[in-house]
Amino acid sequence: MKLFLRDQWSFLLMFFIQLFILVLTFALDGYWNPSLIRYAVFLCLFCGGCFLVIRYLTNRLVYQRLSNPVKSLEELTLSHGHSPLGRAMDHTFQHHYRLFKDQLHAYETKQRDHTTFIQQWVHQMKTPISVIHLLLQDEDDARLESVREEVDRLKRGLETVLYSARLDRFEQDFLIEPVSLRKLAQSAVSENKRLFIRNQVYPELAVGEGWVVESDEKWLSFVLNQLLTNAVRYSDKKGSKVTIRSYARGKHAVLEVEDSGIGIPPEDVQRVFQPYFTGENGRRYAESTGMGLYLVKEICQRLHHDVELDSTVGAGTKVRIVFYSVVPTLQERKPDES
Amino acid sequence: MSKIMIVEDDPKINQLLQGQLEKYGYHTVNVIHFDQVMDVFSQAQPDLVLLDVNLPKFDGFYWCRQIRQVSNCPILFISARESKMDQVMALENGADDYITKPFDYDVVLAKIRSQLRRAYGIYAAQETERTLEVAGLRLFLERMELTMEGEKTELSKKEALLLEALFNQYPRVVSRERLLEKLWDEQFVDENTLNVYITRVRGKLKELGLDGAIETVRGSGYRLKVTWEEKA
Repeated sequence: MKLFLRDQWSFLLMFFIQLFILVLTFALDGYWNPSLIRYAVFLCLFCGGCFLVIRYLTNRLVYQRLSNPVKSLEELTLSHGHSPLGRAMDHTFQHHYRLFKDQLHAYETKQRDHTTFIQQWVHQMKTPISVIHLLLQDEDDARLESVREEVDRLKRGLETVLYSARLDRFEQDFLIEPVSLRKLAQSAVSENKRLFIRNQVYPELAVGEGWVVESDEKWLSFVLNQLLTNAVRYSDKKGSKVTIRSYARGKHAVLEVEDSGIGIPPEDVQRVFQPYFTGENGRRYAESTGMGLYLVKEICQRLHHDVELDSTVGAGTKVRIVFYSVVPTLQERKPDES
Repeated sequence: MSKIMIVEDDPKINQLLQGQLEKYGYHTVNVIHFDQVMDVFSQAQPDLVLLDVNLPKFDGFYWCRQIRQVSNCPILFISARESKMDQVMALENGADDYITKPFDYDVVLAKIRSQLRRAYGIYAAQETERTLEVAGLRLFLERMELTMEGEKTELSKKEALLLEALFNQYPRVVSRERLLEKLWDEQFVDENTLNVYITRVRGKLKELGLDGAIETVRGSGYRLKVTWEEKA
């Protein structure tokens, strides 16, 4: 309505000037009959008013559209009424809509192709790694130990690439089922045993039987692997421990990974979950990509788990995953049981 | 001896797997033309199939369904694809288990043995028993026994694993890291525990009258050393 009035103000101005000229012409001509003038003015105002009302009604949809910004692309295809202006608007908007859609579609296709390519590439890279991995298994030479370490590093890198590429299509690739935290932690620890042994850091498992949460095993184990890798990598001291424990917090289950490593400076703690953020420790340890914790956060968000991080420089870091969907067996236990 | 068919299009992996399986006493059959998987299968009648997912022409899932129409033999998938969906697909197409690349020989061998045991019973397990021998000293991995000229001693699981590593590498040195890795399955093992196991294994060897058979190589690890005279 406001827009309509603003749009029509020049018309209104013109209208009143004309009215004034009309009355003035009568007056200057010496023909001064107030009742006739009043009648003429009334007729003019009535006609002008009708004109404005009809005009507003026919173009109402156009004005509404113009004063309220669209919230979704689909709103662009709604009708703007049957007036010529409305039809012209329909036409233009639909044209824009198609244009946007086409471009969006092109980008989506490109993105999808790229993701597919990355996935295929990772799988292709896995074959040579498998061959190297197999060749190394029967050999035990001090020099080969370092090749083995590099192969592990490659594997880890590929895994990260694969999971970050897959994140975009998360909805098509997850399966929620009861996951035993103990089994998950055990397999994550044994998957990373070489990393532990090499760094002379030892795991401590304090996850009791019966801790079962609703989650996707594959994604969750990627998350845990990531946390363990970080914990070992930043442990720094030989012979130190990485503890994986579970406990209840109210109705929720918590899985915690604690290391007694170098810790994260307070100014960096807020930002560790941002993509590509490596911070102080990243500069000291060349291997950081800044993607690990970002992926952890993203995956947990999609699985509806919470991630928390506490850290003290020089004392260590605790990362917790909070599970909101807890299966009944846990709710029956007392909080002090582990 | 059990016959294992390997359907894997990467020649190197194929060859390495074949070598390893044969080392442990299995017969292997491999596929050269990937459009004739079924012909090879019906001709060889293997006891177990190792199947890759990504194959030329048809994928592993297809071949798995084909095999299932004629046979109930265990089928193990070996694939670089490790998403949940692929594993579900594999099992739904009739597979018995799924191994992701890159894999360890230990894992493949353990899964093969467990599938064979499940499918053909104890008899098959005994038939495929792995034995390792160094100069008359024999290690029975399934029974977890160590024998020397009729003398026999029983081993714990960890002791057997430790000896397996030493036997396999004989006469080379096995590093402490490597031994830790072998022993570490469900529960982690630290340096002290390893020392304890080494002492125990030495004790077992002594029971058989073998002294100093495990030699400590400073700064690197342990090795098996023949300190006795082999009698034929």
